[in-house]
Amino acid sequence: MDSVSNQQFPPATGALCEAKRISHEFALPSGNPVKVLEDVSLEIHPNEVIALLGPSGCGKSTLMRALAGLIRPTSGEVLYHGLPLRGLNPGVAIVFQNFALYPWMDVVENVQSVLKAIGLPDDQVRSRSESAIRTVGLSGFEEAYPRELSGGMKQRVGIARALSVDPEILFMDEPFSQVDALTAESLRSEVIDIWAIKERNLASILMVSHDIKEVVYMADRIVVMGAGPGRVRAIMPNPLPRPRDYSAAHFLRMVDHLHEIITGHEMPDLPELPGEEPPASEIIPDAETSEIIGLLEYLDGRAGRQDVFRIAADTNKEFGRMINVVKAAEILDFIDTPGRDAVITATGRRFIRETAEGRKPIWREQLLKLWLFRDVYEVLDRQERKAIGSDIIKEMIVFQMPAENFDRVFDTFVRWARFGNLFAYNEDTEEMSLQ
Amino acid sequence: MDASTSVVNTIFQKAWGETSAFIGRSRKTGGVDLLILLGMIGLFFGLLELRGEWTGSLRPTVTIDLSPWALPRYAFFSLSRGLLAYLFSLAFTLVYGYWAAKNRTAERILVPLLDILQSVPVLGFMPGLVLGLVALFPNSNVGLELAAVVMIFTGQAWNMTFSFYYSLRSVPKELQDAGVVFRFNWWQRFKWVELPSATMGLVWNSMMSMAGGWFFLMISEAFVLGEKDFRLPGVGSYMSVAVARGDVPAMLWAILAMVVMIVILDQFLWRPVVVWAQKFRIEEDGQQQVMTSWFLDLLRYSTFARWIKRRSQASKSRPAVVAPKVAIRHETPGPVGSLGRIIPVIALGALTIVLAYGAWRLLGLVRFVSFAQWAGIVGAAFTTLARVLTAVALGTLWALPAGLAIGLSPRLSRTLQPVVQVAASFPAPMLFPMVIAVMAWAGIPLGWGSIVLMLLGTQWYILFNVIAGAMAIPSDLKEAARTYQIRGWQRFKILYVPSVFPYLVTGWVTAAGGAWNASIVSEYVMYKGQMMAAWGLGAEISKVAAAAEFPLLAASVMVMAVMVVLFNRMVWRRFYRMAADRYSLSR
Repeated sequence: MDSVSNQQFPPATGALCEAKRISHEFALPSGNPVKVLEDVSLEIHPNEVIALLGPSGCGKSTLMRALAGLIRPTSGEVLYHGLPLRGLNPGVAIVFQNFALYPWMDVVENVQSVLKAIGLPDDQVRSRSESAIRTVGLSGFEEAYPRELSGGMKQRVGIARALSVDPEILFMDEPFSQVDALTAESLRSEVIDIWAIKERNLASILMVSHDIKEVVYMADRIVVMGAGPGRVRAIMPNPLPRPRDYSAAHFLRMVDHLHEIITGHEMPDLPELPGEEPPASEIIPDAETSEIIGLLEYLDGRAGRQDVFRIAADTNKEFGRMINVVKAAEILDFIDTPGRDAVITATGRRFIRETAEGRKPIWREQLLKLWLFRDVYEVLDRQERKAIGSDIIKEMIVFQMPAENFDRVFDTFVRWARFGNLFAYNEDTEEMSLQ
Repeated sequence: MDASTSVVNTIFQKAWGETSAFIGRSRKTGGVDLLILLGMIGLFFGLLELRGEWTGSLRPTVTIDLSPWALPRYAFFSLSRGLLAYLFSLAFTLVYGYWAAKNRTAERILVPLLDILQSVPVLGFMPGLVLGLVALFPNSNVGLELAAVVMIFTGQAWNMTFSFYYSLRSVPKELQDAGVVFRFNWWQRFKWVELPSATMGLVWNSMMSMAGGWFFLMISEAFVLGEKDFRLPGVGSYMSVAVARGDVPAMLWAILAMVVMIVILDQFLWRPVVVWAQKFRIEEDGQQQVMTSWFLDLLRYSTFARWIKRRSQASKSRPAVVAPKVAIRHETPGPVGSLGRIIPVIALGALTIVLAYGAWRLLGLVRFVSFAQWAGIVGAAFTTLARVLTAVALGTLWALPAGLAIGLSPRLSRTLQPVVQVAASFPAPMLFPMVIAVMAWAGIPLGWGSIVLMLLGTQWYILFNVIAGAMAIPSDLKEAARTYQIRGWQRFKILYVPSVFPYLVTGWVTAAGGAWNASIVSEYVMYKGQMMAAWGLGAEISKVAAAAEFPLLAASVMVMAVMVVLFNRMVWRRFYRMAADRYSLSR
């Protein structure tokens, strides 16, 4: 179908929409910038479903927002139909993670508001909203308010709203993460059906997800992103024929393959080079001590070795989160990660078989092998008062891990240190002191 | 205060139960519509009367008829002043709050300015308003009436504006993003996103602010400025005259009229509005008790309301024609029109000029104040500060346990909370004469007595904040305390006080603000036809305002504003931070 957008913009020969070497930084309240995207390039082709996959904090939502024109990247540019984008992307509608429905409007009003906003005459507002609502199977719910609907229903309204403006590209930001698993499954196939019918302007879908099975089910191309700062690790085509079957062998192989790519990136097996300087500093991942211990208990109970994704599935954890825990255990030298597996080390085994009290000295010992903890310890030891302010430590974090959010690292630092009885932290005076 | 059904409401509900059941049965006869029609006719004649009052020739001092039969008319006048002032407040809130929330540069001027405005007592505005407005309408009563209305406005507006500003700043991110993505223009964003998400806060604050407006009703309707005595027909001036003459029955009648007025407002205006505003809740959990309003139900029965509803629905769900496929106009939002960019700059420039001019005039005024006078004012300010803090401490002493007792018992909170709400809306200065009489009899000097008077007006803020806090204590914490047999004083110290602390701080801040404002009526009171004053900044302000000594008035008001703002910044803010860091239950 023809639309004004296609007259305004030259017809798409290559990409509908394209990110060209974009980077993006946020300023923290403290003024320090945090890099969330670095040198990311991506093309959205006509007639494809493309998925951004990655752990939380890899900048996939930021990339999507930049493509939608909601934010302007710090550097690089976004093209729409080959022309640089200024302001909002005219061909895009978004389905939001938390639905973003206006609670004071009923279903029809929510859909109609966006049609009124683009200035359609009344009769078209009515007919279009009606057809969008019918498409997502919400007929009969027109006068229900969002609070009366389940998560899945709400997201149907969100989809109807986005479809009603007849976008060329539909953006979906983790659309099914707030929806229960069964409903999500049916919604996925419905979205694919709507997209496949091609009776609308809709050419392509860009979705953001952290669920590997979801992207393998839906996407034609899968963009694997990595964190700190966010970048594209790999782009994997997914040629599986539709309709796809979650339990088909090809499907599972694809899922497996993605696992491999992600683990390969997130837990690289770098050979240790003798004689070379050790890396400047370890990144302290966002993991709770209880999660690390839980991981070790899990491994200890399973002959000390398990596939990381199997662990994530067994423990019902999002894999991005699981990878953080694995990395944390690894820098503490409790586990090794050959390939996709996590293997408990001798230290890890000794640690986990101790009593709660007996674990503390081992934990302490391992902490002091980390740069940050050792540095803080030395500074404290030299101090007469044996206490320093949190800002000094935060400065050290910024210095050692410039790409990390130092407040987040500091919180983890405090928790780990407290667990090992290494340092004490007084929240009122914001002072760290030796135990 | 929101979770319960008012006692008054229950009574009405019972009394009306029969009637409305009857009305429900006989809808066809249009009983409700008849009532609505009668109400409208009454309103029409009331407005005619009002018009006479407003457009009549200037009568600075009307003779107040102390007969109780004159009261309904006076009450109607006062009520219409309060409502008109509320309309002004609402308009002011929408414009000022929106401006402050949307324009970063303006925000830096507007928010501190609002802070200062909030700390200026009504007498600080009085001379300028009265002289200015009377000069503007030299031949009719409009100027004087407007002055009274604006004085009531100064008791209402600031609180509402702060609430609206904060609501606008905290519209959930995704709701805003959706508005941007789907290309709402600023007006659509305002009416579909921002105003609705601010509505709940605005409604609750409107109720509070209306009460704040009544607080100075006696001053707003009857005041002395230099040689001139101004008096407008109304409940406030009725009370003033009754107090001046020592006419106790008339005082009681005035109090009754005020109570009736407050209850009527609660039942006919606020409760329906609150019930209606429920649909603007953002949290989606349905745990809140459903509130009801008999009046709103009644309205919904009426043919009139159903006619309106039919019309609005007709436009919503007319049978759809099969969608003809039409292209949407995708427009890249170009640069905002030059006009749209210039207006804020001009407005900001104008504001800056006005502020600079005002500051310059103020400095011109206070030039005449001698050093000794300044010293006296500052000394008086510290005395009043001591009184304010004592009043807050005393209020806490009784309101904390009482509030806990009420909030922790569902039965008590259901029955007492609405009573507290009405009591809090009642303008305390109307009770002052009785209290002063008691204190005079007991031989308590006004220096101490004024603390009690302040307390009378401001204790409620502490009380209902504590009630709200006590109702919000999570039940698992209470159960834990019971399981581990933490009792009495221990439980109070370990569980109750920390969990209501954030609410208590809010109560303190509001109460202290109220006490500062109340100092102008509680340190300077009329008793048996004579003025009594205690040494303090409030008395100082009242005295110099009555004597029309403008340089001193400006200086005292400035000192009060500075004191209040500084104290907020240096003390209360610290408590706020402590409450948020340590005692917040939502983290």
